[in-house]
Amino acid sequence: MLPNKAAVEGVGDAMQLAEVKGRSLWADARTRFFRNKAAVASLVMLALVAGFALFGGTIAQYENDFVDFSLIGSNAYLGVPSVDTGHYFGTDSNGRDLFARTVQGTGISLMVGVVGALVAVIVGTLYGAAAGYYGGRIDGIMMRTVDVLMSIPFMFVLILMLVIFGRSIFMLFLGIGLISWLDMARIARGQTLTIKNKEFVEVAVATGVHPIKIILRHIVPNLLGIVIVYATLLVPNMIIFESFISFLGLGVQEPATSLGALINEGSRTMQFGYHWQIAFPLFFFVVTIFAFFFVGDGLRDALDPKDR
Amino acid sequence: MTLKTKLLATTSAFLIASTGALYADGHATHPETGETLASDQTFTYRVGDESPSIDPGLVEDTDGADVVRDLFEGLYNQDAEGNLVPGVALSHEASDDGLVYTFTLRDNAKWSNGDPVTAGDFVYAWQRAASPELASPYSWYVELMSIENGAAVIAGDIDPSELGVTAVDDTTLEVRLSQPLPYFAQMVTHGTTFPVHQATVEEYGSDWVLPENMVSNGAYVLTEFVPQEKLVRERNPMYWDNENTILDTVTKLVVLDENVALTRYLAGEMDRTIVPAGQFPRLSEEFPDQAVSVPRACSYYYMFNLRDAAPEELQNADVRKALSLAVDRDIIVENVLAGGQEPAYTFTHWATAGFETPDIPMASMTQADRNAMAQELLAGAGYGPDNPLSIDLVYNTNESHKAVAIAISQMWKQTLGVETTLANQEWQTFLEARGNGDFDVARGGWCADYNEASTFLDLMQSESGYNDSKYVNAEVDGLLAEAKTSDNPQANYDRVEEFIAQDTPIIPIYHYASVYMYAETLEGWPYENFEQNWYSKDLYRIAE
Amino acid sequence: MLSFVFRRLAVAIPTLLILVILSFVLMYSAPGGPFNSERPLPPEVLANIEAKYGLDQPFWKQIVNYVIGVVTQFDFGPSFQYKDRSVNDVIAQGFPVTLTYGFWSFVVAVSVGVSLGVAAAIKQNTWLDYLAVGVSIGAQVLPNFVMAPILLLVFTLWLGWLPGGGWEGGQWNYLIMPVIALSTSYMASIARITRSSMLEVLNTNFIRTARAKGLPMRRVIWRHAMKPAILPVLSYLGPAFVGMITGSVIIDVFFSTGGIGQFFVNSAFNRDYSVIMGITILVGALTILFNLLVDILYAWIDPKIRY
Repeated sequence: MLPNKAAVEGVGDAMQLAEVKGRSLWADARTRFFRNKAAVASLVMLALVAGFALFGGTIAQYENDFVDFSLIGSNAYLGVPSVDTGHYFGTDSNGRDLFARTVQGTGISLMVGVVGALVAVIVGTLYGAAAGYYGGRIDGIMMRTVDVLMSIPFMFVLILMLVIFGRSIFMLFLGIGLISWLDMARIARGQTLTIKNKEFVEVAVATGVHPIKIILRHIVPNLLGIVIVYATLLVPNMIIFESFISFLGLGVQEPATSLGALINEGSRTMQFGYHWQIAFPLFFFVVTIFAFFFVGDGLRDALDPKDR
Repeated sequence: MTLKTKLLATTSAFLIASTGALYADGHATHPETGETLASDQTFTYRVGDESPSIDPGLVEDTDGADVVRDLFEGLYNQDAEGNLVPGVALSHEASDDGLVYTFTLRDNAKWSNGDPVTAGDFVYAWQRAASPELASPYSWYVELMSIENGAAVIAGDIDPSELGVTAVDDTTLEVRLSQPLPYFAQMVTHGTTFPVHQATVEEYGSDWVLPENMVSNGAYVLTEFVPQEKLVRERNPMYWDNENTILDTVTKLVVLDENVALTRYLAGEMDRTIVPAGQFPRLSEEFPDQAVSVPRACSYYYMFNLRDAAPEELQNADVRKALSLAVDRDIIVENVLAGGQEPAYTFTHWATAGFETPDIPMASMTQADRNAMAQELLAGAGYGPDNPLSIDLVYNTNESHKAVAIAISQMWKQTLGVETTLANQEWQTFLEARGNGDFDVARGGWCADYNEASTFLDLMQSESGYNDSKYVNAEVDGLLAEAKTSDNPQANYDRVEEFIAQDTPIIPIYHYASVYMYAETLEGWPYENFEQNWYSKDLYRIAE
Repeated sequence: MLSFVFRRLAVAIPTLLILVILSFVLMYSAPGGPFNSERPLPPEVLANIEAKYGLDQPFWKQIVNYVIGVVTQFDFGPSFQYKDRSVNDVIAQGFPVTLTYGFWSFVVAVSVGVSLGVAAAIKQNTWLDYLAVGVSIGAQVLPNFVMAPILLLVFTLWLGWLPGGGWEGGQWNYLIMPVIALSTSYMASIARITRSSMLEVLNTNFIRTARAKGLPMRRVIWRHAMKPAILPVLSYLGPAFVGMITGSVIIDVFFSTGGIGQFFVNSAFNRDYSVIMGITILVGALTILFNLLVDILYAWIDPKIRY
């Protein structure tokens, strides 16, 4: 009962064909992405920021928790940025080297932004697409669940997680992930409602394609445009949100820090003339956000199935 | 610019209309000092949060108490130095055994609706404050005053009418105590003991504190109250001493953020606000007449967890002492906080009445010597570079607690090589963790309930509910018990402080200061009052 | 359609009930309690307080009593923290404030955001596009806790044009800074979602056809492109509107407006259970309501949608 050779070869051919075709689709997107100058420049910027976060520590003259007691508090005005002292970005109001702290904070914030956006994209999109596609009672239950989760006093969820799991960076991501996908789910579901009435979906349904396959193959690709834009919107929101939950005592604990926390601290002292304390973290934040925006925009254009 | 002027114009027009323009003519002078008074007698100050209540029976925070002291008047007031001066009561007599106090009330005290203030109003208010029905979180104050049957009334065992306070006649109030209490008369300056107007309370229930319902007997009446935004009180024409009251309008603004409040102060929107941590040197240089720091009756400290379940390394007194020695208090008070706080080597605040700070050896050493001694002690306990000590430090979420924790953890690291894990927790979580002994080292702060050293040192009692270190020392307990009845307890307090320095259940870090900006034209502020009890009726504004 | 609306409103009741129960469980499992303080109250005092607020009852009974109170008398109970007031008082005072500046922020965010987004999409890759994108990213990267103190410094301290905080019944000069600080980041998001979704619609065949037929651009946009392009913006607006009128704690903190956002955060820290529940129910009801509204608008814009 061995399958005949020709059939095996045929399958092999088909597989090869599919592979080639698949590769070309992605290659196609890649070519289009790399044709977009802003997107490529932004990708380079992102790589530079990531490199700064990863390797910046090697050129820092101080540990990120080292306090110079002569530059603390009321003497903070002495902690101006200077190459001579080794405090390239100056010091924060606790007398710690702002360069080392910005390096470390950028790393945390990049991770938070990316993880938050990824969770939102994956969970939110699939959840929303499924709810929108199935419709009816399933949609009702799924969306009312989202309503409840949106209205629940989120601070208690955070406080409880802190009590149950203790403090860790994992908690931070869990907290961020939990909140980030809700809006995405609503948006994805809304778009799915219109997409599922389109001819190509109706054809797929009529030919008996499995619903999960329809969602993955036909619905989700058509959602990508809005999903990617929303994900790039989420990155800054997540970074800021992180500073809020760190403030609550969850997430990043001193002496570790994040861009959001640094900006928050800087905004408190800027009226006293310590402009560098907000300027440097804000600069990295702004660069990161701009880069994410143009990369997202480029990705959207490259992946848009209609835009051939 | 135009907006602000318009605003001011409307306010003063309102003032003139409502107060009869007694001091609004711009040429009036202060009756005692002769200073020229400003035509605009208003005072606007900032608080950090809304008070839980402004009902005298329920008031529990200092901001609320400030409001209550203006709206209501108790038996006695305090003057600028904190001495007792007549309020509704003119004088009192204590029986020889110290158990019965008889207050003589003035006959010209009136409620804002014209009713006379009588001894019966006090009886009603005190019974109400103790009653389980009102369930005041401050009802324990009645018990603290040792009023006869106080505890039983609070526990609900007997009717509030059995409380040891009676109106002999309209101007004679008799209070019976269950034990003699030398400072009883001092205690009637607290809001819990202030009278309330029975008919109003009974008519409106908990709504009686609304501006349209409230009847009060203080120098001011409540005219506007928007919770979390502002509270306005204006001169009470019915007040017995109204003609000597100078300020017409007092406004409390709720501004949550200290830095925002400072911005608004500098923009001229308010006359008093707190100075953010670390900003005092800069502000006092720029505004020498406005930035003021005075001692505040609180101590800041770190406590060790001495429970059996706590990490073993902290059970070693040498380790604890080493950690205490390595804290450079001068850096904390001069650089981190920089607001006139004092370095602390004793738990009791240095400015506490009748307390002489004992000589703690550590206090007179140089920091270099302290560091050397700390390194020696820690090495002796078996911790060093190859066996580093690592501890968790818990503090509640707050910018200045954070700054102190960062500095101290680095002092420990740089001097002793100790690895500290910092953890900030939101307040309720923090309290729970600290109460349950779920910490190695935790931040603590204690403010005096009354102006005497035992208010601090009683925390070191083995059984004290506030002894979160769970420091147990029978000798300390004995010394403290003896101090209660002693004529001169200073020697006992010295011994207790020495025990604290030796056993180091806590690390005293600094003694608080109260650091505020006050508008230049504001006069009469009682800076000398250690409890910071101020009365708007004693304040005034001078012309610029 | 009408039956759909009724069905959804009927489902809202069990949804809110689940929200109430879940929140109760969450609240009670968090450490601490409304009457915990640094100085623990004597047990008899605590017992009096707990009896007064019904906290001595078993957990399930507290929920039942609460729900009965809310349903039969619309009574959300007394505030545990603010002893002179009830939850109804707190909401009655704070909600109109938040609603006012939230509404204006919404109007500003939507009108400016949608116009910017449409303009940027039509003139893709021109200076107008870059300007719109720049403005919207600029608004996005200045978090409102940075923007609020900057606004205060500039308009209150330096220029002296605007009062630094307070509400005063919502006079316009007290409204300006809160509205600016609250609306910008939403405006930026709306602009970007609008732009991308408009671009997508402009690339579809029917718009190309319409343009090929020589219809004027303005007509194409308003008659044909606007409706499908606004759909994703709408799904964003449901939660965004609720966020604006409830989640504005930063505004309340910096501008002392006394709105509901700060009560929500403070009551969580103070464990003021009844205020938390009151505001949670309010937020839940608004969320359900606005998501329903969005769904209705969806069906109205795209008649093919069936629920």
